Order: sequence, then C-alpha cells, then structure tokens
Amino acid sequence: MTGPRCSELSRLDRLQRAVEQCAHLLPRQGPIGVFVHHNTLHAFEHLPFERAVIEAAHLFGAEPYMSEADYRAELARGRIELVDVDAILDREPDNLIFAGLTRSSLRRAMITPGVREFDAATIIWRAEQGDLAKDFRRAALRVLFEACFARAVAHEEDPAQPRPVDEVIHPWLIRLCSVFLDQGAAYWPMPNREKGFYKSVRGLLARRGGILPKYLVGLDEEFRSQERRFFSAADSVLDYLDSGCLEESEWPEILQAELLALPGWAGLIHVLEEKPTLAPHKILPCSLLDFLAVRLTMLRVAARRQATETIEEEPPLKTHERRRLSRAARMYDAARVLRLSGEDVESLTESEWAAFASEVKVFNGLERRRILHLAYERAHEREILRGLSSHRKYRGLFEQQQRPSAQVFFCLDEREESMRRALEEVNPSIETYSAAGYFGVAVDYTGIDDPQSSALCPVVVKPKHAVVERPKPEDSSLLERRRWRRRVLGLLMRNSFISSKTLLLGWLSTSVLGLLSAVPLIGHLLAPRRYALLRDRLNDAFLPEPRTELTLMRNTKESQDAVSGLLMGFTPEEKAERVASVLGPSGLVHGFARLVVIIGHGSSSLNNPLESAYDCGACGGRRGGPNARLFAAMANRKEVRQRLREQGIDIPPDTWFIGGYHDTCNDEIELFDLDSLPSTHQPDLESLRNSLDRARAQNALERSRRFESCPPDADADRALRHAKERSEHLGQPRPEYGHCTNSICIVGRRDLTRGLFLDRRAFLVSYDANFDPSNSGLSSLLSAAVPVCAGISLEYYFSFVDNDRYGCGTKLPHNVTSLMGVMDGHASDLRTGLPWQMVEIHEPVRVLFVVETTPDRLEKVIDANSALKQLVTNRWIRLATIDPASARVHVHRDSKFEEFHEALERLPVALSSQEWYSGKLQHLPMAWIQTPRTAIGARLR
Amino acid sequence: MTLFQAIVVLVVLAPGLVFALFALLWLFGWTPGERLLAWVTGVTFSACSCGVAVLIWKLASGSNITVNLGSWFTVETYHFPLVLMVDRLSVPFLALAAVLSGLIGQFSATYLHRESGFLRFFLLLHLFAFGSLLAFAAGSFDLLAAGWEIVGITSVLLIGFFHRRRAPVENGLYVFGIYRACDIGLIVGIFAMHHWAGTASFAVGFPSLTGGQAVIVFLLLLLAASGKAAQVPFSGWLPRAMEGPTPSSAIFYGAISIHAGAYLLLRAQPLLAQSLLASTLVILIGATTAIHGTIVGRASADAKTSLAYATLTQVGIIFIEIGFGWRWLAVAHILGNATVRTMQYLRAPSMLHDYHQMHSAVGGQLSATGTQIEEMLPEKFQLWLYRWAFDRGHLDTILERWLITPLLHTSTYLSRRNRTGTPSTIAVRPADAPQAPIARVARRGE
Repeated sequence: MTGPRCSELSRLDRLQRAVEQCAHLLPRQGPIGVFVHHNTLHAFEHLPFERAVIEAAHLFGAEPYMSEADYRAELARGRIELVDVDAILDREPDNLIFAGLTRSSLRRAMITPGVREFDAATIIWRAEQGDLAKDFRRAALRVLFEACFARAVAHEEDPAQPRPVDEVIHPWLIRLCSVFLDQGAAYWPMPNREKGFYKSVRGLLARRGGILPKYLVGLDEEFRSQERRFFSAADSVLDYLDSGCLEESEWPEILQAELLALPGWAGLIHVLEEKPTLAPHKILPCSLLDFLAVRLTMLRVAARRQATETIEEEPPLKTHERRRLSRAARMYDAARVLRLSGEDVESLTESEWAAFASEVKVFNGLERRRILHLAYERAHEREILRGLSSHRKYRGLFEQQQRPSAQVFFCLDEREESMRRALEEVNPSIETYSAAGYFGVAVDYTGIDDPQSSALCPVVVKPKHAVVERPKPEDSSLLERRRWRRRVLGLLMRNSFISSKTLLLGWLSTSVLGLLSAVPLIGHLLAPRRYALLRDRLNDAFLPEPRTELTLMRNTKESQDAVSGLLMGFTPEEKAERVASVLGPSGLVHGFARLVVIIGHGSSSLNNPLESAYDCGACGGRRGGPNARLFAAMANRKEVRQRLREQGIDIPPDTWFIGGYHDTCNDEIELFDLDSLPSTHQPDLESLRNSLDRARAQNALERSRRFESCPPDADADRALRHAKERSEHLGQPRPEYGHCTNSICIVGRRDLTRGLFLDRRAFLVSYDANFDPSNSGLSSLLSAAVPVCAGISLEYYFSFVDNDRYGCGTKLPHNVTSLMGVMDGHASDLRTGLPWQMVEIHEPVRVLFVVETTPDRLEKVIDANSALKQLVTNRWIRLATIDPASARVHVHRDSKFEEFHEALERLPVALSSQEWYSGKLQHLPMAWIQTPRTAIGARLR
Repeated sequence: MTLFQAIVVLVVLAPGLVFALFALLWLFGWTPGERLLAWVTGVTFSACSCGVAVLIWKLASGSNITVNLGSWFTVETYHFPLVLMVDRLSVPFLALAAVLSGLIGQFSATYLHRESGFLRFFLLLHLFAFGSLLAFAAGSFDLLAAGWEIVGITSVLLIGFFHRRRAPVENGLYVFGIYRACDIGLIVGIFAMHHWAGTASFAVGFPSLTGGQAVIVFLLLLLAASGKAAQVPFSGWLPRAMEGPTPSSAIFYGAISIHAGAYLLLRAQPLLAQSLLASTLVILIGATTAIHGTIVGRASADAKTSLAYATLTQVGIIFIEIGFGWRWLAVAHILGNATVRTMQYLRAPSMLHDYHQMHSAVGGQLSATGTQIEEMLPEKFQLWLYRWAFDRGHLDTILERWLITPLLHTSTYLSRRNRTGTPSTIAVRPADAPQAPIARVARRGE
C-alpha cells in the first residue's frame, strides 16, 4: 500500500522540481509599483556573458547585441576604432584557411569593409532589383557570384512556427490571470480567489450555462471531470503529461515551452509564489503549478479541437533554391571583400572551398556582432581609462588649505554625478561624497502619510529595525486634522472615480457634473506647470503640515516589537556603527566642515506606470529621503559621536549634520529638521542653500541638453521650469531619462574625478584605500555597489538591444493591469523590462568598474565574495584599477589584470560644464572643467 | 455666401486641408518637423474652436445656417445636392470635436515625441477631425455618411498604429469588419431614402417618408448607429480597440467616435418619433447595453477595458434617453460623458500613482468593492454571472460561432466552387496528430 503512494509522492516532488527548474528562466520582475533593476538574464549568470547572450537569444528568440548596421554606423562615426577591432580579433585563435588567407584576415575583411546579411526571404528581390542587382552590373562581380553559386550548397534551418493553439487560449488565460491577480482595479473581484488559481478558475469555468468559443468547446466538461475526480493542480498537470505518454525526462522541456509562451504572467505568478508579500494590496495564493494546470487543461481541449480542423497550408516561402541562392550570396560577399575573382574561386580545390565555406559560415552575423560589440566596449574602455589617467596630472591641485564650507553626500547614482559637479562648480569650497543611497541605514520605515511600513534598503538586505515618523507633541492635533482631511479627499476621489463608472451614479455624474472635468483636462494639458502650482497651493492651504520627528531611540537591546519582530529604533552602538559604515570607507574621518549634508533621492512623475524605476535602487526602488534624515539625526547625537571618536572618526562639536532629499525629475531639494539647527549655523545654511539652489538649476540645464523639447538656448532657470513641467505633464512619457547612458562606476577618492566632466554616465562611490588597510571597507562597498550597478547596467543593456523581447516596447499603448503591470492593448502578455522611452539614448555596454586600489588588493576582495567573483569571471561587468599611490592603471582582460599605458597629452579643457555641453545632444567625451579655483591651482603649479 | 456660411465651411474644411497639404508634401518626400506639426495642429483647432464659438453665438439668436455647396452630379431632373447645415443639435457636437481634437493634439505632441509614426498620427488626427466635423455639420445623410466612413477608417488605422506587432493589426481588422458590416445599414438606408423621398437631406427627406418607410429607414440607420456605438451585440470590438496610442483611444472611444452613433439617432429623431416599435427597440438596445456594460466593466481588471465599458454603459443610457425622446438630456449626457472619459483615458497610465495616493490618503483601508449587490446573489448564480461578465457576455463567441463562422464557411464553399479544376492546396491534419507542445519538442529534436 505504501509503495505506490510513496512513488506517487516522489512523482509530485519530481514535478515540482521540473517546474522550478524551468521557472528560473522567467522574468523576475515583481509588481511594478516597486521596481528593482536586475540583470534580465539572471538565469544565465553562471555562463560567460558572450555565451549567455547567445543561449538566451536562442531560447527567447531575442537579439544578443545591437544590429550589425548599428555597429557599422558606430564604426563609421569613429565611436569604434579599427585598432579596437584588430585588438579583439588578435585575441582570437588564428588559422590558415588556404594559401594566402588566414582566418584573422578573412574576419577582418568581413568586418571592414564588411559583408552584408542575406536571407532566403528577400534574396530573389535583392538579386533582381536590390543591391545585388546593382553589383551585377559589373561583369567581374557577376562572374564571381556565378562561381560561388555553382559551388554553393543550401542548408538552413526552419524557423520555429507560431503555435496556433496559443492564439486560442491566450486571450482567456490572460484575462484569467489579470482578474485573479487583481489588486483592486476591478470593481468586482474574482470569487474564491483564496482557493488558488487552479481551483478558482476551475470553479468558474466548470459551471454549466456558458458559451465557449469554437476551439474551447468541451472546456467546461473537462474541468467538471477534473472536479469530480478531486484533482489538485499537480494531478491535473500530471494527467496532461501522462495523456501525452511522456517520459519524465521530457517534462522540463514541455513545461518550459508552456511557461515561456506567456513569460510575463507566469513570471509574476512565480515571483508572488516565492514572496507573496510583494503584492501591494491583496496577498494571494499564487503557484506556478496552478497556472500550468489551467494552461494545460485549456491546451488539451484546444489542441483536441484543432486537430480535427482542416487548415490551409501556405506554400513554403523558403524554397530550396532560395536558400541556395542566399548561401551563395554570403559566400560571394565574403569573396568580394577579399577581392577574390571568379577564377580564384573556381581554382580552389574542393577541400579549400569547404574550409573557406565553413569559415564564412562560422563567422556569421552573430559572431561578427560579438566582435563588433567587444570592440565597441573596448573603445569605450580606452576612452575612459585614458581620460582618468590623464586627469591624474591635475591631482593635488585642490588640496584643501582651509576648512571646506560644507560637505555633501549624495547617492552613488550616476544622475547625481552632474549634481556633485554643479555644486562644486558654483561653490568650490564645498566637498562632495557619494555612498549607496540608503546610507547604511536599513530600516522598515513608516512616514506620517504612509498606510504601512516599507523597507528602505537594497532588496538583498532585510531590515531589522523599524522607524516611525510621528508628529512633534505640540503638533499632534495638526496631524489629526491632516489625516482627517486627507481621508475625506481620498474618499471623494475614490468614490467619484468609481461612481463615474457605474450605471446609475455614473449617469448622474457624467450627465450633470461631467463637463466639470473639462477644468482639470484643460489645466493639465494647456498649462501643466501652473496647474500643478495651483494644486500645490491648494494642498498647502488645505492640508496642514505638522513638524515631525523620527523614533530612532532605543535604550535597551531587547525592545523588540512583538508583531513585526523588528527592533524599534537604534541603540547608540548601532547608530555609531551605521554612521561609521558610511564615513569610514569614504575617507571622511577628519577635517569635517561645519555642515555635513546627506541627500537621498527619488523621482516623481505623472502618467508613468514605471515611476518607481526612477527612484533609488539602493533603497529598493523607493525614495531615500528618510534614510538621509535618519543618518543625520544619528550623527548629530552626542553619544554617537563619542563612540565614533573611539573608532578614530573625530567629528568636532561645531559640525552639524542635515538630511535632505533630491527629486531627480524636477530637481527640487528639500532639507529636513532645520528647526533643530543651532542658530550659530544659520549663516552657513544660508550660503549652502544658495549654492544648492544654483547647483540644481545648473543640473536641470545639463539634463535638458538631452531633451529635444527643451529650447537649446534656455538658461538655468528656464531649464529648471522645464524639468518641473516634465514631472507634472500628463502626457510626458520621458519625465527624465533615469539611469539611461550609465556606463562606468568609479570607486575612489573625489580627487580622481573632481573637475572631470563625466556626462552623468558614472556611478561614483567614495572610497579611500589609504584608510582601509584591511580592504574590509572596499569589500562592503563593492558587495553593495556591484549588484546594484551591474543590475542597472545589464537591465539597460538588454532592454536596449532587444526592446521588444527584453524590454517592454514603447510606452504609448501600455495599459495598466491588475495594478501590478502593463500590457500592450487589452490582452497581451505582461510586459517586463524597460520601455523604449527610458532607454532610447543608451549605449549598451557592460558597466566598467574603475577601483582606486591595486590589482592584488582588488583580487583578494573579489575572490572572497562568490557573487562578485561570478560576475567578474563571467565578464558581466568590466573591471580596472588605478593605483592610489603610483597612478598606474590596470585593466582586467582575459581573467587577468594588464597594465594600461595609453594616455592623452592633455584632456580637452572647458571653463565650465555648460561651455562643454551647451547645444549638444550626443554623448560627450571627458573634459577638464577649469573652475576659477582649480584654474588658480593650475597656475600656481 | 454670408460670413457665417463661410465660417461653417472653413471650420469643417480646415483640418481636411491640413491633412491634404501634409499628406501631399509627404508623398513628395518631405516630412515636417514635430514642432511645426504641433504648431499647425494647435492653430488649426484653436481657429476651429473660435469658429464654432461664433456659430454658437449666432445660433443663440438666429436660425440654422445652411450652406449649399452645389451638386455632386445632376441627371436630368434628379440632382445630388451637397448641403452643410448647422443647427442647435450639431453645434455642441462641432464644439466637442474641435475642442477635444485640439486638446488631444496638444497632449499627443508631447506623448508621441520621437515616435516614428508621429506624422502618421497627426495626419490621421486631422483626417479624423475633418470626418467628424463633416458628419456633424452635414445637412444630409450623404455627407454624413462620407464623414462617418472617414471616422471609421481613421479609427481602424489608429488601432493598427503599431503595425509591426500582430495584435494591433488583427484587432484593427476585427473592428474594421464590424464597422463595415454595420455600415451596410447606413448605406442601404440612404439608398432607401433616395429611392422613396428622392433626397437624403434631413430637412426635405424626413417629411416625405410614409410611416412604414420611415421605420425601415430608421431601423437601417439603427444598425449603423449600434455598430459605431458598440451596442449589444456588437460590443466585443470595443476592448479590442485599445491597441492604439492612449490619446487616440481617448478621443475615439472615450469621446467622439463612440458617440457618433448617438448623433445619428438624434438626427433621425423625427423618424423615431413616428414609431413605437422603433423607439422601443432603441430603448431595448440601450438598456441591454447599459446593463451589459456595467456588469462586464465590473469584472475588468485593466485600466483601458474597464474605462471602455464604463463609457459603453453611459452610451447605452444615452440610447435609452433618445428612445424616450429626451433629446437635450441626451446631448448634455454626451458632452459630459465625453469630457469625463477623455480625462480618464488620458490619466489611465497614472492609475498606479492615483491608486496609491488614494490608498494612503484613506489610511490604507479602502472599502472593498463588489460586495454589495454581487454578494447578495446565491452562490451558483454569482459564479455564473461572474463568468458571464468575465467573458464579456459571450458576445464575441456568439458572433464568432453563429455569424462569422457560417459566413466564412459559405464564402469558402463558394470560392472553392469557383476554383474547381485548379489543384487544391487544402491539407487535412490527421485526427491523431500529436498535440502542439509535443510536436514542437519533436521538431526541435530533429
């Protein structure tokens, strides 16, 4: 009795395992309300990059690189140089094909002057009227083609056929998924959702009395029979697999094909199965087995019906002759770029021709694109490293003689690079630093307006501490009033929205009050900024803003909240530890200014389902203001400073920390808790405020250079208004460009980059190797920064190279579904990845980390961390070092560090960033920005 | 021609001229810049709106404005007049079309920035505005039908705007099919009017029809109106029309195209008033659609479909109002519904943002919806009704199984009869063919 039962159980286990095995290929994007950038091909990270992109391309039918034409355009405009192509080709194994032709010379010729791509579908047209026809006007080329054609053999694989069954079942399956997963968009939630997808769908579709589409007739009967047999989801799946007489070894492939047919929806279900709390409003029992059970049941019915249908088969487009022609055309083009003549081809022996043909075949479009891509990245790498090593000449020009007027910390985000540069430009006595934007303070935070807490830290970290924002005692009545009024407003909004969609109330509201919505319509569309201003004013007048404080104190070690299991607040030791974790590695351990400002960031925009993708990645796709505020509040406490002093971080008593928040979309900066600032620091604050205001306007101006819709002659104030308008415009698909154009990450002192124009393309992490003899600081910085930066860089890479498969296409037809994702139109797969509007100006390169340390020290750090090691050895990120003492540059190629010798005579010089970028839309090379102060330094030298 | 007549002609023609000009220039190889196009669009529709404002002022004090544009053709005593007429019924619709087209143009200039189909979108927007203005200002069904068809074809082309993907093209074709099928009613209705009354103009034509003729013409027009307004049983096309860019969904299916059917019925009101049968039918269709719309809309979890059904529900009610003869209520309702829906469609991509704001404003406790009437039903009926709502009243299925498939079979049969003698390319898949996924694996293994 136990025997079959036992095997039945283990069969279930094996099914589970097979499902899990396939599930890791699904997109890992959760509900888009909280967007976390990650490597699109996370499932392939165990493979080297170049192999992974090809395997994924085959599996998903996607592009691994940009198109060959794109790379050629880059070659033509000099973005890729021939030396780079040569350098890459020289690293590949060489071989003699026949006398006078080596593999490398063949490949070089196939890349430049370059061969064309041919396919069977268009070959006849091209030979008769297209580019080939033009070639054939020259007799020599015609002869060459004929010679190649005479020797060409056709071989080509059939492309995968679209599956007609999918067209039948997808509209149903998509709608079922969307109502099942719905978080409150539909007025009437699906009944019995708590039973799980399979059982609730079965309960629904097994009812008699419905009408089914032609191909799904019998679906209700099928579900009824499963209901009668008390099937679980697994039973249903097993039943399907058994009915096809499949071996267990074939399961994974079948299941994989089924899951990848609707990867977006299956992926979301998978993510919610693993982490149900990611669902923003309603936690649902999700399971991939459930999804498969429904899908396979539908499939079985649809396939049964379709099998009996007659279908009209089109005559195959790719005949044998076409294939042979296109094959010949490829050989012809290779021979042409080698300047072989028709006689040369005819005179080749059979084995020589075969070797030639196979070399040409091997170096197909994908391979050429691989070489071109590596060259593309190498050119970028050389440009960056050349610039950085040349910039070393200016080292030490800005040794601070006096105490800086302020020190400002930003997030390592590449969008803050221009902000830091602008701030230093408008006020050279300010020093800037960068750290991961949660500033070491991983908390579960609840603001006064938040209905529930959220984790403000990288997704890999689980916060152990809870912090609540509460009104100051004297303002608590204000908060009550604020809550009450917000509630009334919220209910009003909600009820008017819902009732406008119902029958009777909708009648009333549309026919009587309908014309009133012309006011917001016209306001939003004709004067977006003024309308937003008006709304803000009304908000200010109507909603009182209480002054608040954070509950960050905890005295005993064990005051743990019984419900959440979180520690309320931080003990002094814990506070000191958090503060030291940011100040220590960045090298700010002495020479503190009177004001130290910590600025978190986020982004606000309208009409943008992906709003969260623009927020702080280091805060888990949320806004980092509270972290900065907390950090400052901690660092201002006496007992914390006492403990820091013991660790060698000596903060003088007249140094005051201020937290702040930068909105990267409208470039507003808010500073927190200014009422507790000592009056002695008011003048410092005034001056800092002034600098910040000028800097953010400069920053908006620099951002605006990329926007075609901002007039090119705009000044800083105009640009600031433009930025503000973008964030408030109802029809703006690109409120900002987000992380677009990110390409490098520099881990080192500011001296390495100060005054260097990095074009908002560099993540910056403050790190001083001199204060980190044990490398522990570097290790912790890299373990936080590498996954975040690599995730961003790779997600942008893939969303750019294949925006349809890896990205989510253009935003324009997007349709928010279930409050968790977007579809194209009314019934498509859930679209994951980034939209075209977010990536369109990106340069798809893997992020290049430049670490200011020695290769030995870096290798030690990487070897000690398996996740880092995998990313580095499989080349998902690129790596280089700059020696902090000798300034020698090493670059990581073929799994070892090589010294990099090229250097520029001198960097291009500009008197201000604005002078360098003004009027230009394209990516710009590095330049040395000679602000007045640094210019003085240069002269002194 | 008086000043006011000139204004009518200019208001109608302006977007058409813009379309013709830019389309011609594009044919000659010149693509205008985005800024120029946006500017021209702004100027055109501002001018149109001002023109309509003048017309409103004129109509408030005076009588209808009729413009005789001459005849299309004359055969002996019969001639085919082209007449524009602006009266108190058409002027609110003209205002709606002019103002909303302008606002949508303004929105789209930002929304479609850098989109490769930018010019195509704006050309279609102008063509659509021309079509709808023509339909609303027409003095006879002939011109109305011309405008009507222009609105139909631009609607289909904008659904298929992203023609590199399969779904938009397929859905565009579906909508096109429904439109064509229902427009038979309009065309035959016009023929009937010409046949019986000698003209299709509103002013002359209606009084000269006898009772029976009036009912037949009206029923034919009702078919066309129901198709355009997505009334039951044609409602299935409406969610499919959401494939285009958001602003085109807003102006077509939130505002103008969806209400054009109601306008047609309002125009034919004199015929409707004569017949109890006709008005009962209109009320019946409207009521069915309103109930259908509200129930189906409740079970839609995506922003645009749920808005589509919300719009449809109100259009159903508008049909009821027309059936009862409450003309001015219907017009007010149309204006209100169109404005609300345009705003809601344009805001649809902000749904997450808005929902989160509401959610936090009420302290995280949004009252559950769908728990009042729905939960009072017995459970079996509840499930049945939910399933009915989920499958959108089975309307697509009904059309597919009992209308389209038989039609296809008939036409296939006829075409095969026609081709007898030529070798058949029909392949029959054997009944025991392997099921799809397995076949796929096998293929890959080869």
